[in-house]
Order: sequence, then structure tokens, then C-alpha cells
Amino acid sequence: MRIALTGNPNSGKTTMYNALTGSNEKVGNWAGVTVSKKEQKIKNAYCNNQELIAVDLPGAYSMSPFTSEESITSTYVKKENPDVIINIVDATNLSRSLFFTTQLLELGIPMVVALNKSDINSKKETTINVAELSKQLGCPVIETISTSKQGLNELIQAATKQSTQKQTAPFHQKEIDLTNKNEVENADRERFSFVNDIVKKVEHRKIQTKDKNINDKIDAILTNKWLGIPIFAVVMYLVFEISQVWIGTPIADWLVAYLEMFQAWVGDLLANANPLLSALLVDGIIGGVIAVIGFLPLVMVMYFLIALLEDCGYMSRVAVVLDPIFKKVGLSGKSVIPFVISIGCAVPGIMASRTIRNERERRATAMLAPFMPCGAKIPVISLFAGAFFNNAGWVSTLMYFTGIVLIFLGALLINKITGYKARKSFFIIELPDYKIPSLWQAFKSMCNRGWAYIVKAATIILLCNTAVQIMQTFTWSFTVAETADASILATIATPFSYLLFPIVGVLSWQLAAAAVTGFIAKENVVGTLAVCFVGLENLIDTEELVLMQGAGQEVAGIIAITKIAALAYLMFNLYTPPCFAAIGAMRSEMKSSKWVWGGIGLQFGVGYTVAYFVYTIGTLFTAPETLNTVGALVGLFIVAIFVITISVLIKNANKKVKEEYALTSK
Amino acid sequence: MKLIDAIEGQEYVIQDIETDDEELDAFLFSLGCYSGETITVVSHIKSGCVVSIKDARYTIDNQLADAIVI
Repeated sequence: MRIALTGNPNSGKTTMYNALTGSNEKVGNWAGVTVSKKEQKIKNAYCNNQELIAVDLPGAYSMSPFTSEESITSTYVKKENPDVIINIVDATNLSRSLFFTTQLLELGIPMVVALNKSDINSKKETTINVAELSKQLGCPVIETISTSKQGLNELIQAATKQSTQKQTAPFHQKEIDLTNKNEVENADRERFSFVNDIVKKVEHRKIQTKDKNINDKIDAILTNKWLGIPIFAVVMYLVFEISQVWIGTPIADWLVAYLEMFQAWVGDLLANANPLLSALLVDGIIGGVIAVIGFLPLVMVMYFLIALLEDCGYMSRVAVVLDPIFKKVGLSGKSVIPFVISIGCAVPGIMASRTIRNERERRATAMLAPFMPCGAKIPVISLFAGAFFNNAGWVSTLMYFTGIVLIFLGALLINKITGYKARKSFFIIELPDYKIPSLWQAFKSMCNRGWAYIVKAATIILLCNTAVQIMQTFTWSFTVAETADASILATIATPFSYLLFPIVGVLSWQLAAAAVTGFIAKENVVGTLAVCFVGLENLIDTEELVLMQGAGQEVAGIIAITKIAALAYLMFNLYTPPCFAAIGAMRSEMKSSKWVWGGIGLQFGVGYTVAYFVYTIGTLFTAPETLNTVGALVGLFIVAIFVITISVLIKNANKKVKEEYALTSK
Repeated sequence: MKLIDAIEGQEYVIQDIETDDEELDAFLFSLGCYSGETITVVSHIKSGCVVSIKDARYTIDNQLADAIVI
């Protein structure tokens, strides 16, 4: 038996779904967190071993969809015939919610209403006559609090009992011509007045919603004309500082010490084994994975903090604060939420763009979201900050800041290329009540995503590291390579290293191989470098190299690049396409291969251009004598191709716009 | 008058929504924002205003506030 969970956005459907099924789907305190359908068996504790499947659906305000995720809901309940519908009604907002409820009741599918958030109502001293509401609607009404799992047993019992009953509707829409706008509107007006009558009968409010309350006082500060943006900047700065410096790094250092002990232990075990095998296992596989897992604490602390932000209701306010700025580049405040989610991972970030109604805006958001450095890029940033900049906090801050700047510039470019005409766009976003974020929820979310990170390290990253280690050990004739430079990996990666030469100033197939594996998953950059340089200590600054050589030391497999080159290489890795998963997500949201290829091209072009200029200009300022003229010219040529392509596209777009105007004036 | 000129905290009755965008009109309708219903501006902010429609709070931008006649 399938039970569909429906209701207005932010009424608590996914929280209830998680409680019923024991899943850990993303929840948050804003409208539009869930953007796709989810199905899972309900826990035995609620259903006495019956086979009950809960279906979580994106929130909707009515049966007529406004954005694409809302259409998932109306299509599902109309076409897929669920056995029972649980309509989750936000008890604090009966007057709006019941509009959708009465529409659902007309479908004839057995229904139970879950009057959710009833705890908030008792705080606000609003009372609802549940028995009367049930009588008026003609279906059972159960009071629930899904955050504390109250009322869920009764709810499921009522739903199973109801599934055999026939559902009648308290309000029937008259036979009307659904294509006639006026007739539809009149029918909807009748429906709303029917709902208003019910609300009058059953609801007693002490505090009117229109009166100013504590939420408005907080809003007055957080969305203040002058303070709004600085507060957001401080909040984000704290998220990075806490996760990447204050708390994350000490735990990471501690963890790495243990992991290296484990690596040494395995090394001792294999002391008498085939040296080739032990190198493959200890340096290649274990070394590479440790390098990635070592950054897990940083990533987990950040996930925890972001979950707290998502839970408290601040996200909608951020959208409000940034809307005026984003409007200037043809996006809107709605794009902010996908960008902020992308700080955790670009895949859900790109999917969150589904709540944006305007197609061009939605595709642009999906295309630009990966510029935001995600959780998988943290290891890369931290590695370079640690190896070249003494773990300086500004490296990470600069990377996020550059990401934001690139989003703005990218949005402008997309406008030009698509021939965007400034037109009226409306922005409306619901402001949910603030709530104290649940530490337990944030902890669960952190563990969930931390686990996913470990799984990724143990599968994709492990596989890539093994492949890299094997390719680095053997030559094409499958004999052991005397030096790594003769290995399969070196010959494959060398052509790419010519492309990277204008960015790092040295021909290094190792850096090229790391960048290439990074397109599979960004953590691979760290893993591959660890494998290629036998531990990351051998990736060092040229200045340190001079000191070491002065001391008469010789280290095999060492690679030395300048600080500027390290920064440029880091930026190349951060701002070119993030990973296969993100490209897949882009493809499914954009639904146009032209846009997807355009997006990948834009990301490559922008990433390369930024890295090239950072290296070339940076080197001209710091050590002009080390700049290789040929390299600089080759890089300039590659950048020029990108710029020319963009200009041609913009020119074509302008021509098209002109033609359109010409046609309309005829 | 337009919603943009509304006094904070005072309840107004919506007279008309001036938009050619039928989908937006229908969406606002499903939120309970249509002629004959009441609307209250809780506060004016730089980019628009915070409004109370039925029992929820929304932020709308100046362009939308300019389209709501009260």
C-alpha cells in the first residue's frame, strides 16, 4: 500500500517522512527543500508488519503547478493512484493550506489530514477544533508534531483504516470550462470562501499574524539595508573559519597521526613482501586514501554548521538580502539558495535550482553553482594552503570570494551570450518563522554526509589511486618503469602538462595527472598527488627547495613550484568543471545538451583564464625573470581562443535580438 | 493606491493585481493574494516589502509591490 505525503511547502512533509521511514532525506526551514519524489518502506514500529510505502513529494500550494517540482506532486496524485493521501497541513496556516486540501479531497482518493506543527500553535495560543474540522472536511484529522514524532502512530492507523473507505469531497467545483480564465478564477474564489468559512468555524486566534512579532524584529536586523550583507559575510566567514581553522584542523591533525600510524603498521607487515606490492599497497592505495580521509573532519564540521544554518530559517532571509545584487546580473534571490547549498556539494545545489521558475535563470544558476568551492574541494584548498602558505586562513577565504566573483561575472557573460533582455521579473519568497536549529538533526546530517565522503574515498578515490599507482609503476611493455617518467601514467599525462605549463611554469605530468583525475572527483587531486609524490611532503615550494639543496639534501620524485604557481594551479582545479556527478546533475536540470556543453565550456574557459592570469601577472610582479615567454604566449593564445569564441557568441546573440526587434517593428 | 505606498501595519483590501503573467497571477491566487482579500505590509525594506497574506509572511520585491493595487 502506498501512502503519498502531500501539502504546502515547508509544512514538514520530509521531516515526517524521515520519522516514518527512518530515512535521512534533506530537511530545512524554507519553502522548496524537496525537489523530487522519494519512496521508502515505513518502519515496522508504525505499521505492524504491513507492507506500507511512504512517498514523499515536493510541496505545492495548489493542483496547478507553478514551478517544475510542483508539477511532480500534482502529476503523481493524479496519475499514479496512491492508496491513501496524507495531507500535511501547517496548523499555523490553515487558511492557506486548506485550499490545496479541498482540491485533493476532490480526487476521491482516501485521505487523512495531519495537522502538523500543533506545538507552535499552542505556543501562539491558537486553538483549532479538530473534531469540527474533521466533520467539515469529511476525513479524519490527526494532530501531529513530526519533529518529535508525536501522533504518527495514530496517523498511520487512521490512514490504513481509511484506505478501504470511499472519500467524498466537501466542496465540489462546478462544471466549468477549464481553459476559461475567468471561470476558473471564479471557481477558485468560491473554493477560498468555502475554506474561509471553515477556518472561521474551527480556528480561534489570540495573536494575529499581521501584527509585528519577534520574527519581524530579527528580520529587521538580518535583512537591514546596511547590515544585511555584512552579517551574511560574517556568518559565512565564521562557517569557514570554524570548520577549516578552529575546530576542523586540530581534529584532522589528530586523525592523520593515527592514520599514518596505521600506514606504517601495514608497511612493517609487508616489510618482507615483494617491494612492488608493498609500494602499491602502502604508498599508492593506503597513502592516497589517507590523504583524502585526513580532511574528513574539516568537511564534517562544515556540513554540521551548514545544516544548522538551513534549519534555523536564515536561508530565505539571505535570498532577500542578496536579491537586489543578483537582479543586477539577471539572476534573482532564488539563485542564492542553490549557491549556498553548493558550498556543501554542487549536486544538490544544482538540483535546488529547480525551484526557479524562469528557464534562463534556472539554467544559469545550475551552470554557475559549481564555481562555489564544494566540500570535495576543501581537501585540495587545505593541501595547498598547508604546503605553500603555512595554513593561512586567507587562502580559503580568497577561494570562496573568487568563486562568488566568478558567479557574478559568469552570470553577466551568460546574459550577453543568450541575448538577455531586461524584462519584468517578480520576486516573492515565503519567510518561515525562525526556530532554534536542532543539534541532533545537524549531527545526523553531518554523519550522513561524512559517511558518503568515506564511501566515496573507499570506492572511486581508492579505485583511481590504484589505477594511478599501477600506471605509474609500469611502462607500456608492462615491465617495471625504472623512473616514473617512463611510466604509462607519465606518457598519458604529458600532453596535458603542456596545457598546464602556462599556469604552473613547469612541465609536470604529475600535476597534469592530478588535474585530470580531479574531473572524476575533486578529492582525486589530493589522492593522485599523494601517490605521485610518495606522500604530500614532496610537493613543495621552490624557496624551500633552495634551502634543502643548500643543506645538500636530495629527494626523489620531488616537485617544486612557486607560491604563485600553486595558487594558479589550485584555482584551475577549483573553477574548471567540478566532477562527473555535478555534470550529470547539470544535464538533468538543464534538459538541453547545448546548455550543458556551453556550461562545461564556460567553466573550462573561465577556470583556465583565471589561473593563467593569476600565474602570469603574479609572476611578473614577484619574479619576472622566471616567467617563460613561450609558455606565457601559448597561454595567451588559449585564452584568446576562449575570448574570441565568447565574443562571437555575444555578437550572434546581439544580431538575433536586433532581428527580433526588427520583426516586431514591421 | 499601490502596495508600495501602504502604511505599515494597516490592513488593506486588494483591488487588483496588474500583471500579464497569468501563471504568476494564479500562483499569487493560491497563496491567497487576490482582489477582495486583505493584505498587510509588515515593513518596507530597501528592495521591497514584507507582507502578511492570510497567515504567512512573504518578502516581495518593489516590482511586484507596484503591481498590487489596494
